[in-house]
Amino acid sequence: MTFDVTQVLETPIGVGDITVENLLYFVVILVVGVVVARIVSTNVRRALTERLPKNERELLAKLVYYGIILWAFVIALPQLKFDLSGLLVAGGVAGLVIGFASQSVVSNLVSGLFLMFEHPIKIGDNINVADISGSVEDIHVLSTVVKTYDGVYVRIPNETVFTSNITNYVHNAARRFEYQIGIRYEDDADAAIRIAKEVIATHPFALKSPAPSVFVDNLGDNSVNLTAYIWAPARNWWDVRTDLLWKIKQALEENGIEIPFPQRTVWFADGLEVKGRSAGKKE
Amino acid sequence: MMFGRYRGTFHHEDGDTLVEAEQNGSLLTYRRRCEGQTFERILVSKTGEIIINPVEPVNLPKDVTDFLQIEFSPMVIEPGVTQTIYLKFPVEIGVFLEAARDIEVLDIFGLGSQKYTLYGTPTNGVIARWYRSEIYTEVPAAGSLREGVMELSIHNASREWVEVSCVVFDSTDMKIYYGDFVAAAATMKIISPTLAETDFIDAPLRPGMVKSVELCVARKIPVIDRGYLMEWGFS
Repeated sequence: MTFDVTQVLETPIGVGDITVENLLYFVVILVVGVVVARIVSTNVRRALTERLPKNERELLAKLVYYGIILWAFVIALPQLKFDLSGLLVAGGVAGLVIGFASQSVVSNLVSGLFLMFEHPIKIGDNINVADISGSVEDIHVLSTVVKTYDGVYVRIPNETVFTSNITNYVHNAARRFEYQIGIRYEDDADAAIRIAKEVIATHPFALKSPAPSVFVDNLGDNSVNLTAYIWAPARNWWDVRTDLLWKIKQALEENGIEIPFPQRTVWFADGLEVKGRSAGKKE
Repeated sequence: MMFGRYRGTFHHEDGDTLVEAEQNGSLLTYRRRCEGQTFERILVSKTGEIIINPVEPVNLPKDVTDFLQIEFSPMVIEPGVTQTIYLKFPVEIGVFLEAARDIEVLDIFGLGSQKYTLYGTPTNGVIARWYRSEIYTEVPAAGSLREGVMELSIHNASREWVEVSCVVFDSTDMKIYYGDFVAAAATMKIISPTLAETDFIDAPLRPGMVKSVELCVARKIPVIDRGYLMEWGFS
């Protein structure tokens, strides 16, 4: 018994005139396309490692990857006896149907493209969008992935990102934070301000300019309240904030200035009489 | 002088600063102690060398920027005039491991404190390492582990008198040389009362000075030497 390869290849698969050979060609072209796409996108990513920011590099690599696969698919389609000119005619009707069916997908896609051009966020930025706070892990064509500060993966559709208020905490080079520091009424507020400013000045990332500002903000129920405004590099502000407050508190206490507990002085209209004191003494 | 190339063991102590490589059996232990902080690494090396030299002062306590701002007393400069002055700049010390085909950063340390500032606006400005210097007309004395000397040539190319009290550099272009002291040379071209170009010159201040290994070279970061455009004024 002989095995005729040509005969096998020319065997119809039962769908139109498509033979096993056509199907094999289709699969081979697609596989070659995927392999080429993977090699090219990997090299694009490697070549641009030092030259482009991560998100732009990833976007370009993905565009190259999917572009090559689409190209391979279009080349492979005639193997399935698929008339591309017929696709244009059918495309109108199909496009209408698909358009309705994939409204949200298209909306997310378009939003994703706008996000990529507008650049309100980048990979690694700390953001708050749609009440979700965290750092941007990836920006896909349809969705944005955020890792919340407690390490949870959140996928937000790009339409939601695009139509929500985006707060990007690190978009600017520097940002300001503030402290409220209460001191006792008998403490010297000028000395407290001087000490706080000295402590702030020693921190490398409490910026020299814009200069920090410390002032008496209000006279509270239990304390004289100082406010300190400090500028820090946007990507390091949290470290500075957590580092400085305790140092200011320690420096104030070393100089005899204390942060008071809530207190209330109570006056009795008729004085305060302790009943039963004499009876107790007799016993 | 701590700066130089070392193969095998060495030991340098300068006040509270200690840098050494000690043989420990077949291994080499690199150890650094500076201002109460200690750093130690075990090295496995046959032909490698340890290079210690001054590096761009923008890495401590954490790498947040590439920019260096030096502030000095205000100077008013006549249009068209060029003046060379000397400033001091902060020095950080880089320790590199060099093999035949590769160089890596092992350690960066420095003496004294650091301070950072914002040059420009919070929206568009840049974070810069801040340093205050006196103005000198001749090369001043400077402790090579703490400070270096910068020769700055300021040219007022504008048509107006301008007041200058600070200069900002992109440190990725910085060329540092060392010998008896640490040195760098730079230019500042004032284009208008709010605009100036700054750049470093790749030349030693004194003959015989050795060029430092740059951090961007060791980190394999390609750099285009294009200077820096100060867009937010200089006073």
